[in-house]
Amino acid sequence: MSATVMEIGWLDARETVTAPELARACGLSPDELEELVEYGVLVPLRRNQPERVFSAEWIVPLRTAARLRQDFDLDLFSASILIGYISRIEELEREVKSLRARLPGHPHPAHRFEGPEPWREPHGKTLISTH
Amino acid sequence: MKYKDYYAALGVPRNADTDQIKKAYRKLARQYHPDVSKSAGTEARFKEIGEAYATLKDPEKRAAYDELGRRPAGEEFAPPPQWSHEYASDAQSFEDIDLADLLDALGRRHRTARGPVHGRDYETAVRISLEDAHRGTTLSLNLDDEEGGRTLRVTIPPGVSEGQKLRLRGKGGKGRNGGTDGDIYLHITLTPHPVFRADEHDLYFDLALAPWEAALGAEVEVPTLDGPVVLKVPPGTRSGQKLRLRGRGLANGRGGRGDLYGAVHIDVPAALTERERELFKELASASRFNPRAVVAKEKAK
Repeated sequence: MSATVMEIGWLDARETVTAPELARACGLSPDELEELVEYGVLVPLRRNQPERVFSAEWIVPLRTAARLRQDFDLDLFSASILIGYISRIEELEREVKSLRARLPGHPHPAHRFEGPEPWREPHGKTLISTH
Repeated sequence: MKYKDYYAALGVPRNADTDQIKKAYRKLARQYHPDVSKSAGTEARFKEIGEAYATLKDPEKRAAYDELGRRPAGEEFAPPPQWSHEYASDAQSFEDIDLADLLDALGRRHRTARGPVHGRDYETAVRISLEDAHRGTTLSLNLDDEEGGRTLRVTIPPGVSEGQKLRLRGKGGKGRNGGTDGDIYLHITLTPHPVFRADEHDLYFDLALAPWEAALGAEVEVPTLDGPVVLKVPPGTRSGQKLRLRGRGLANGRGGRGDLYGAVHIDVPAALTERERELFKELASASRFNPRAVVAKEKAK
């Protein structure tokens, strides 16, 4: 057992990744990544540059989609549809959290998001829960 | 080595064709996949059916598995001796090898020469307090990996928020045959705070005011992450209004801070003293204020 102190990388808009790095992190081939760009699911930061650069916030949803693709034997197009839904669900969950924080008398909104990753929970249930 | 009954795991007969196997797997995966399952704790079951499917969908691996014959699940057995030549050269004995790893190794050997293999990635949820998210913290992460376990000291910088994803690049499993080392992904959640609610880097708290404080204005002591401060409540403050303390929210990791909002609600005494009752009655008779005036106007239309 050894202990190492290390720094971390932010997986959000403040950091960028190159196409090969994004492909590696998500277990996709460069051609598959290019196909996702062609479908319009994945949007590079600077379109006209010879080397594509992406926001690091793509890494986690792409990894999830790649995992679902492998586990459910899906084709890349089906996975690309999932990426759209995953991003939308994450966006809606952010909005729900934001609205709950602003409501008076809800001192512990985080309780409602315990358990599996938030977007995996049944949405209807999450949205209609009252406390 | 322990025998695993992959056919039983998928609930298909041993002579099932590829389509039957695929359908059975999809049905079970829909039920148990951790990303889509509605129940908690389905990972182990999904791993079992995933392992079964990985073997049975591949004709070569399925043939090798069928060679072992039918046995009760969990029974100790020895694979055919010739398999030892097919398995990785560093494996001296089958005793400690998992059946799935062995079948994987056989499959790889039959297919292609070994290429670079990226090390295993790890994903874990990390729960930290609001204060630690604001000021930064150092965590000990215990990783139970193929190297027998490691402890990583991870510095979480100030400014992470609920749902933030972080990556420790190259700190996962070791890559093989020249492949890159795996990564560790951290999914941050914040523990509920007794006073503050976080919205990204802004914070909210409930600011209770007495009716006269709201009407006349007041200076009230309110909590902040840096200790209590005095907030000037302007006269005529209404319930539901949010009073902002600029730059008193959470650190945003870019050198700035979010804002802190007091969400106003007006409270009244649960029981009135005789004097309070008199004063309220006097106010009621003297005031021409009607909080339902807009509704009354609408009704009159």
